[in-house]
Amino acid sequence: MTTLLPPRPPAASDSPGKGSPVRPGRARLNRPGVAWTLPATIFFLLFAAVPLVAVVVLSFMTWTGLGEPKFVGMENWQTLAGDSVMLKSLWLSLLFIVLGVVTQTPVSILLGVWAAGPQRNRAVLSAIFFLPLLLSSAAISVLWRALLDPNFGVPAQFRWLFGDGNLFGHQSTAIGVIIFVSMWQFTPFHTLIYQGAAKSVPPVLYQAAEVDGAGRIRQFFSITLPQLRNSMITSVILMVVGGLTTFETVLILTNGGPGTDTTITAFYMFEEAFRRYNFGMGSAIALVLVVVATAISLIMVKLSGYDKMRSTMEGV
Amino acid sequence: MRNNPSLRTPVLAAAGVLALGLSLAGCGGSDSAGSDRPENEIHVLVYGDASNDVENAMVDKFNETSDVKVVLDTIPGAEYQQKLQTVMSTDAAPDIFFNWGGGSISDFVEADLLMPLDDFIEEDPQLEEAFLPSVFDVARVDDTPYGIPMRGTQPVMLFSNKEVLASAGISEPPQTWDDLLDAVDKLKAAGKTPIALGGGDEWPTQMWFSYVYDRVAGPELFASALEGDTEVWDSEESRESLGMLRDLVDSGAFGTNFQSVKFTDGGSHTLLSSGEAGFELMGSWEYSTIQDINPEFAENSLGWSEFPEIEGGKGDAANLVGNTNNYYSVLKDTRYPDAARDFLKLMYSDEFVQEHMAIGNLPTTTNTEQFLDQAANPDYASFQFGLVQDAPNFQLSWDQAYPPAATPTIHSAVSDFFAGSIDEDGFVAAMQSLKK
Repeated sequence: MTTLLPPRPPAASDSPGKGSPVRPGRARLNRPGVAWTLPATIFFLLFAAVPLVAVVVLSFMTWTGLGEPKFVGMENWQTLAGDSVMLKSLWLSLLFIVLGVVTQTPVSILLGVWAAGPQRNRAVLSAIFFLPLLLSSAAISVLWRALLDPNFGVPAQFRWLFGDGNLFGHQSTAIGVIIFVSMWQFTPFHTLIYQGAAKSVPPVLYQAAEVDGAGRIRQFFSITLPQLRNSMITSVILMVVGGLTTFETVLILTNGGPGTDTTITAFYMFEEAFRRYNFGMGSAIALVLVVVATAISLIMVKLSGYDKMRSTMEGV
Repeated sequence: MRNNPSLRTPVLAAAGVLALGLSLAGCGGSDSAGSDRPENEIHVLVYGDASNDVENAMVDKFNETSDVKVVLDTIPGAEYQQKLQTVMSTDAAPDIFFNWGGGSISDFVEADLLMPLDDFIEEDPQLEEAFLPSVFDVARVDDTPYGIPMRGTQPVMLFSNKEVLASAGISEPPQTWDDLLDAVDKLKAAGKTPIALGGGDEWPTQMWFSYVYDRVAGPELFASALEGDTEVWDSEESRESLGMLRDLVDSGAFGTNFQSVKFTDGGSHTLLSSGEAGFELMGSWEYSTIQDINPEFAENSLGWSEFPEIEGGKGDAANLVGNTNNYYSVLKDTRYPDAARDFLKLMYSDEFVQEHMAIGNLPTTTNTEQFLDQAANPDYASFQFGLVQDAPNFQLSWDQAYPPAATPTIHSAVSDFFAGSIDEDGFVAAMQSLKK
């Protein structure tokens, strides 16, 4: 398992390509021509850049999907600035991200490290455990919606725990259900990341620790956890991106309700564009989402040192 | 580290122009008069479900005698309206399409995409006269008819579990609001949820508002609101209606967890059919829904009655609320208006009525009455037909009477009011925020 290791810089004896200029500070590799990026660039322009520009233009227009879009200047943006649901949806989105990371990360790490162990029964259990990963979000949401029916589902069997089972009728429990279902669905994926990372921790570290008399808990905190650092950053970034774009789960489980109490920004965008046929406003909300997501990623990359990507082989 | 601005600007500008071009490309359909439409065929677009059997039969019958052939296209699932909206202003727009009348076509009328049907009706008065007036009128926009009824009617009725009512000492369905409150108390005492409500879906909650408002204030209040007079939401009748609804919810009529129950995943009608609840206010499709999950219950213990009268209210106790019917509207640009008209004529034919009755739908033509004994359940069919025929007013569901843009606001408002998270002022303010 060396896939997580960064490429080793070529040794000095590896000869650089014929006549290619060697610039200081760069790995002396035979770099492929710019033409190789053409397919990816065209793809990116066509499916990311052009739509993004279209969305910017549309956010200054009003359009129901019928007839010609009309320019309305800043109108959508002004409405949005004074819109309490928009602000609420942003807070909710951030809350979803934080709750998602907080609930999924510890569980994923523990399960991942456990699943990286050698025994045979672990492989079988892990395989069963990864099943939710294979189901679509829509199927999972429909399943849990039915399971949590207050009169005929799980809550009806455990009245002492669920009371009257009105889980979807209060903001706090509705959010709780969404977080729980997301966790049920995505923990296996993040577990997979941690499992791979935990397997690539050199055994010699544990052998040395044992010689020093460190127990299993001490080993976990002093060796495993630090070695998982880069995987943790990868996993958290994926959770943040996933949290920002959570949509089907909310649509099917709560439909943004009760009222607008679980209307996160991605759902609000859908509602404006495809339920109210207000594509201008939907575009404006989409742009806010793009800006927020970009800002969060940049901050995370800066804070975590992800851009530097230090080697996990330190100290070996 | 300066980027090259002279290269950047034109690239961005080109991308912008391209994007604008893409977004405008789909909008040119309305000013080219039919010439780019397909030759010798007209496309009919309908919501894809069990009723398509009848529509296929009608298309086959029409194509036997016509040179211009009808092609039936179906869009399955609940995304029909969304997909229709995206296809309507393109060259792929259907010549004739299924809709819900009222607000569901008002955007199209405003965009000048639909053909007023006055001329058709002048040539063949049956296109209007063969249908029940309370149903036909729902597809009028600004007094101009834009749709011909094309499926079964779906009034909202009060369904009940006869066994549960009997065991709680209720001998007959409630005739008045006081009867209903009385029944609620008895059912509560018997340990049942008095009324099953799929509050998680929000539209079943709206049915209670539609009926209570209609009974207390009469249909005029909602009609004025729809015309843009938002003051009516703050009227005495409006607040009286809200007060009655508040009392009903607070009395525990719906239990405490109705916000988590859904009709769409079977929650509310299972409450009724399994004997956990006494009543459910639901559209006429409740019968076939319950027949699907519990045929024995549907046959023996399912009761149905009109929404109770509200004493002292301005609205007629015979007024109905619900989905009046579905409609066919015609694209203004259609290449073969005569063929479209002839196809619409089939919608009042005997064959059309019989085919629908056979699958449990109740068409709204005047000749329906003579086929009532052929229905899947003749008692149920004739009760329903009587309601629709005698209704002085048939109020289209609020969320379909308003244009689609209003739906999320209405749904949130009714749901929040039932949950108690907004009060009367909050509800009034939400409804007043709706534009015409």
